[in-house]
Amino acid sequence: MANASTGIGVNDCCKLRFLELKVKKTAPYIIFKIDEAKHEVTVDQIGASGESFEDFAKALPEGECRYAVYDYEFTNADNCKKTKIFFISWCPCTAKVKARMIYAASKERFRRELDGIQLELQATDASELDVELMREKVY
Amino acid sequence: MYGGDEVSALVIDVGWNTCKAGYAGEDAPKAVFPSLVGVIEKSGAADGSAAALGNGDVEMGDAEEKRTGNKPGGDGNDKARKANRKLYVNALGFRRDFMEVVPTVKEGLVADWDLVEGLWEHAFRERLLVDPREHPMLLAEPSHNTNSSRETTVELMFEKHQVPALFLAKNAVLTSFASGRATSLVVDSGGGSTTVAAVHDGYVLRKAIVRSPIGGDALTEAMLNTVESMNVMIKPRYSFKRTEVRLGEFRVTDLDLPNTTESYRRYQQRCIAADIKESVCRVADSTFEEKQYQNIPTQPYELPDGNIVEIGADRFRIPEIIFNPSILKSIPGMEKVAEEQGRISGLPTMVLESINKCDADIRRELFSGILLAGGNAVMTQMKERLEKELMEEAPQAARVKVISSGNNIERRFSVWIGGSILASLGSFQQMWMSKPEYEENGPSFVHRKCP
Repeated sequence: MANASTGIGVNDCCKLRFLELKVKKTAPYIIFKIDEAKHEVTVDQIGASGESFEDFAKALPEGECRYAVYDYEFTNADNCKKTKIFFISWCPCTAKVKARMIYAASKERFRRELDGIQLELQATDASELDVELMREKVY
Repeated sequence: MYGGDEVSALVIDVGWNTCKAGYAGEDAPKAVFPSLVGVIEKSGAADGSAAALGNGDVEMGDAEEKRTGNKPGGDGNDKARKANRKLYVNALGFRRDFMEVVPTVKEGLVADWDLVEGLWEHAFRERLLVDPREHPMLLAEPSHNTNSSRETTVELMFEKHQVPALFLAKNAVLTSFASGRATSLVVDSGGGSTTVAAVHDGYVLRKAIVRSPIGGDALTEAMLNTVESMNVMIKPRYSFKRTEVRLGEFRVTDLDLPNTTESYRRYQQRCIAADIKESVCRVADSTFEEKQYQNIPTQPYELPDGNIVEIGADRFRIPEIIFNPSILKSIPGMEKVAEEQGRISGLPTMVLESINKCDADIRRELFSGILLAGGNAVMTQMKERLEKELMEEAPQAARVKVISSGNNIERRFSVWIGGSILASLGSFQQMWMSKPEYEENGPSFVHRKCP
């Protein structure tokens, strides 16, 4: 059990959608949010295929926190197309302290539920939401 | 599992300088009072006069004795020792004969459990007006807390205060969560010391904790010595009487109070010096150099006795101690402190040292999430300066980002606020260590419940 975990659960729907993204590559990203009334993480939005990283960045609300997974596509040194799944925690400074706290404290538990996440990104403002940062992490 | 959803929890953070207490779910602590406690060793004369001078202040001593007396099985020795000491919590504003001022916390850890007890009691009974038996309790603890100290806390809380449930959370973790990061480097610059701790996925990496004794109090001490070296006496408020002779004209008469202890006089002077520090000091934009600041205009500060002291280059020199402790040697009266402490690193060096002790995989993430918090971090320009120095010294590839709340209250109380939110989450209720659990497993169970 994670330290100071908040006891927030995970809706099964999250895992199913994530599996679809991982195996069937149906969507480039999924955005999750915490439903405080139900004490669990639920699916917020699913990206349509063909959407770019910019679309994804726009889909994240400005003054609120979210979790997201993003299927990052890149070409490696041998010129092969590859993808890596990123887990992104979006906690902008403009969000309420309480929301930031819940998201930060429940992240570990939620991430462990999603099997197959390779890399992680923490973002607290728009400048940290950058394809460049992902590229750096991949290599 | 503890299901006390409807009763709000209490959150307490005992720091070196102040003790913060309040209800979970609120955005600032309800009660903030000094952690330093006035102590009178009972030896006849002092007792009577002190009791007579009660004057509306809190008298912890009496209340405490009564309570221990009622408790069956109270330790006899303990009681005798307590009876010989009278504690004055949050009553330092009033001078008492023979009263010594004693810090509760030393080097970040509890030095005297009786005093902590006193602080808790004061918070419950006098400030929050609650019965601890009815509220779950979340206590913030220093990141480098020892196991035995944690067990003592648990024992005291369950046995003496009979709390229904308890949770201990690490300072650095709470600060980190309050800013929305599960992984970050927390730079907590408090009153008595500065602690740099790495938090990864909600856990403090104990190996990477770096501490230094330079905190707000060291700066205050430096300010006090600097002012004294300018041949200005900082007269504590209690030591004189100021009367208005004519409109706008005052006469100061010194009072003769031979029984005042040295520690109390020093404490009162420090309070004034701290106020001077807070009003005039700011961190220099780049490394402080005597020459550059020789001609800067001085800033006046009016002391309680009406004298005015002019602070010039020292406005910048004193905060510089945080970044470059060797400057302590150039401040009159502080040379000894500098020698005693041996080698102290400046803040940027501490940050780098701590990051380098961590696993190479997470270093980059730590560089981009350095959280500045604590009472001392309120100092103007501190964040900008730290960011600048780190950028110069960090490896090329690392993106350095120092984050601190723009709101001074959030900076000062980040630990408490973190605790307040955590304890107010409905879903957090299952995480408490409850009384039945304590009774079944003993105090060491805390290490499992609150890792």
